[in-house]
Amino acid sequence: MKRMTFRAAVSAGVLTALAASPLFSQTAFHKFVAVGDSLVAGEEGNCLVERHQNRSWVKLVANQLGISDFQQPLISERALTNPLTGQPCLGAVISGQTITVGAVSQMGTNQNAALSRPYDNLGFIGSPRIKDFVDLKVSVPGRSGTDNVAAIVLRNFAGGPFEGMSAVDEANSLNPDLVGLWAGNNDVLGAATSAVAIDGVTLTPVAAFEAKYTEVLTGLAASGRTIVTFTIPDVAAIPFETTIPPVVVNPATRQPVLVGGQPVGLLGPRTTSTCSTPPCPLPAGTLVTLSASSLLAQGIGIPVALGGTGLPLPDGGFSPPSTLNPGVLLYPDEVALIQQRTIDLNAKIGSISAANGAILIDAYSLFNEIKVNGFEIGGITLTASFLTGGLFSADGVHPSQIGYAIFADQVIQALNAAKGSGIERPDIAHALLTPNVPTISTAGEVDPSGGPYGFSLSMWKELLGSFGPEEGISVVLPGSGKRVPRVVHR
Amino acid sequence: MTRRSRVRFPETFLALALFFLAASPARPAGFSIFAQGAKASGMGLAFTAVADDPSAVFYNPAGLGFQKHFSAMVGGSLLSKVKGEFEGANPFPGPAFGVEEQSKSTFYLPTFYAVLPLTSNVNFGVGVFAPYGLGFRWADAEQFSGRFIAQNAVIQTADVNPVLSLQVAPSLSLGVGADYRLSRVQLERNRAAINPFTQSVVDVAHIKLTSDLQDNHGWGWNAGLLWKPVPTFSLGASYRSSIKVDYDGEGKFTQRLTGNAAFDAAVAASLPQGKQKVAVTIDFPASVNLGAAINLPANFRVSLDADWTEWKSFNRLFIDFANTAIPDLLRPTNWKDSWAYRAGLEKKWGSFAVRAGYYKDKSPQPLADVGPILADADRKAYTLGLGYDADRWGVNLSDIYIDFDHRDTRGQVNHDQFFGQYSEKANLVAFDFRVSF
Repeated sequence: MKRMTFRAAVSAGVLTALAASPLFSQTAFHKFVAVGDSLVAGEEGNCLVERHQNRSWVKLVANQLGISDFQQPLISERALTNPLTGQPCLGAVISGQTITVGAVSQMGTNQNAALSRPYDNLGFIGSPRIKDFVDLKVSVPGRSGTDNVAAIVLRNFAGGPFEGMSAVDEANSLNPDLVGLWAGNNDVLGAATSAVAIDGVTLTPVAAFEAKYTEVLTGLAASGRTIVTFTIPDVAAIPFETTIPPVVVNPATRQPVLVGGQPVGLLGPRTTSTCSTPPCPLPAGTLVTLSASSLLAQGIGIPVALGGTGLPLPDGGFSPPSTLNPGVLLYPDEVALIQQRTIDLNAKIGSISAANGAILIDAYSLFNEIKVNGFEIGGITLTASFLTGGLFSADGVHPSQIGYAIFADQVIQALNAAKGSGIERPDIAHALLTPNVPTISTAGEVDPSGGPYGFSLSMWKELLGSFGPEEGISVVLPGSGKRVPRVVHR
Repeated sequence: MTRRSRVRFPETFLALALFFLAASPARPAGFSIFAQGAKASGMGLAFTAVADDPSAVFYNPAGLGFQKHFSAMVGGSLLSKVKGEFEGANPFPGPAFGVEEQSKSTFYLPTFYAVLPLTSNVNFGVGVFAPYGLGFRWADAEQFSGRFIAQNAVIQTADVNPVLSLQVAPSLSLGVGADYRLSRVQLERNRAAINPFTQSVVDVAHIKLTSDLQDNHGWGWNAGLLWKPVPTFSLGASYRSSIKVDYDGEGKFTQRLTGNAAFDAAVAASLPQGKQKVAVTIDFPASVNLGAAINLPANFRVSLDADWTEWKSFNRLFIDFANTAIPDLLRPTNWKDSWAYRAGLEKKWGSFAVRAGYYKDKSPQPLADVGPILADADRKAYTLGLGYDADRWGVNLSDIYIDFDHRDTRGQVNHDQFFGQYSEKANLVAFDFRVSF
């Protein structure tokens, strides 16, 4: 009897130890595959390199599941060159006495290109829209930014190992028991980053989105498979849209300039109820994107009385049939349109997810909660502030490694809640306390035209390359007359 | 409950006393300190229906009514934290910090009690003691994983408790007293910020909030009843009121340099300069103690207590900076009322006595509030005591070994979002010396 009791105690102890270890988690899910856009790939600071990929939420979830053979297209990180050979990675740099944004490294090449099977992380940057996860079966490098990156991640270019296979096809070929799908962000994000909100150009129509999201999700659904889906965050709430106030600020203090005790509005091209002759002060509720930084440095948007040119900041627009002129202003009606579209698309994501039994993570609500109250953990307060908030990376759009760790935690918690599993939550402290800097010897590159918030014309180009419009539409930056180039990474 | 009283008489003594009262790792539930006499401590703190020495001022002022001689008792407690550990878990602070320890210093808490018969049935008594205390000081404070929540949290109290007792009948005594409480609080922690160049958290400042002893006090009262229906049996009840202390203190922000001149300059520009006024309020809880004691053959005595503390009064911690540019700290604590059950045994051989006891305290602190400021836990305590009580003098010695249950915030809702397991054990040695005339 004593021997049996001892044996039972030992067994209980072993089970307890196993339950507390990632090893035990392997029994929960054996194969995890992720499909989606740059938020799945792990992009930070306008680029995707191994440093980011190993800290993406997808990789962190795989780690917690105890999956050792989790394969990604690992992109090397290179020191800066002149000219650049890859997409620049942005970070905080010092310009004079000011902390601003500049290039700190650049993307290199895929170090895992020889893998004979599809990658487990099939997320790719280059602004893929929802349709691209089922329709893009043959990538054509040079055709679009999306094609360029899909050729690296999906390797479905002509003659490639997976020619003819979409992201959904490749995911299914791996026979996963857990799939993460975060897609649809670029169906509204392009409108926010280009500051042009036009249905069918920078915003995907709801009906078209619904059809393609259904196709993607039903294409991934399989018996015994768990799927985790995400809503689209409020793209009007990201630092790229919220950092620069619509009023004139003192570049040294970044505090509003007061005239007669009142702030002075930046100038835009639209008339308002109190201004019938443009340029007019921006109405309350207008968002000024980080792209305005270099223009403000030139005095554009600033009244002559305050030392500016008196010229309006560009509002942007679309010239049919195929020319997009990005702006830096989102007037309240445009903000409302983007936000309503986001809400509408999220409603579709929710209903389609429910119909297919997917576990939905409400990233939209999480972002909004953080925007209002911040995120508290261990006595540390994280916010959505640009550069100093901790949750967003230096491009003002993508999460930081901290933000991704929080998303990984959300996924694990959602899985545990839905499945009754005991998967250990990820180590957010590691993301919080570990410096996220290039491991190569590199010096920050400061573009003096970047303005008070460090967003130079070249950075704007890069961002628009990442979040560009529909294929076949040309982008012309204000004043440059130049089309936004597509950087090819092979 | 008034602020900034001009009353100064006890302060010299109390300041000296508080010099020793740094912390109370052996606290009973919450941050109260119920061990206020060596005899009571030896009997598992089940003393409400015993109350037969001057420490009755604390345990049950009615007990003074049965004491017919002048007695003065000085003593104290040596409090030692045998073990105070935290082992972190994901998501924060994770396992990388290993097992982190609290400081294991030994602290001395002095006590003084006296009883003076005024008439044949009216006695005056006074006690000076520390009924509440908290000391959560983390050993490697600058590296501690919870340093952005608390590195050092201290609550110190010193009470002056004059009482009057009236023996209304040979078997019944009543007591009532006023409770003047001086107190100070201290909270230290580091401030975190995101270094924009590394996109990671760094320590940018040390914040020390302190209040002075002489400026912060409150008033309350206590009362008791002791009934001995037969010589071998007694019933006791006592009550101590809540006391609200409004602390006026100051906060000092000291920058921690990161080595990046531009970032350090930006931090310096954002830090409050000079001493910042800060206000804190603590509602110390009311308590009710119920006890019974019986003398058995062969000079055995058994005592039992059931003690209730109204900890729900401690429902939030609000640190209010006068400077509106500094964020206030509002922390919901949501403590619950708690019960403690105590049992004591005494065996006498003439003037010599041997005592033993056991008690079980329920923590009032919900898991959501458990953190580096305070990780309270249910605990079991085992006590032993020795005593020599002659007519003219007496001496008592006791030991309490307190075994705290683990407190585990893993997988729980936690205000601090700080997860892991707390382990604590403590030991208290109490002694006192009495003279009587």
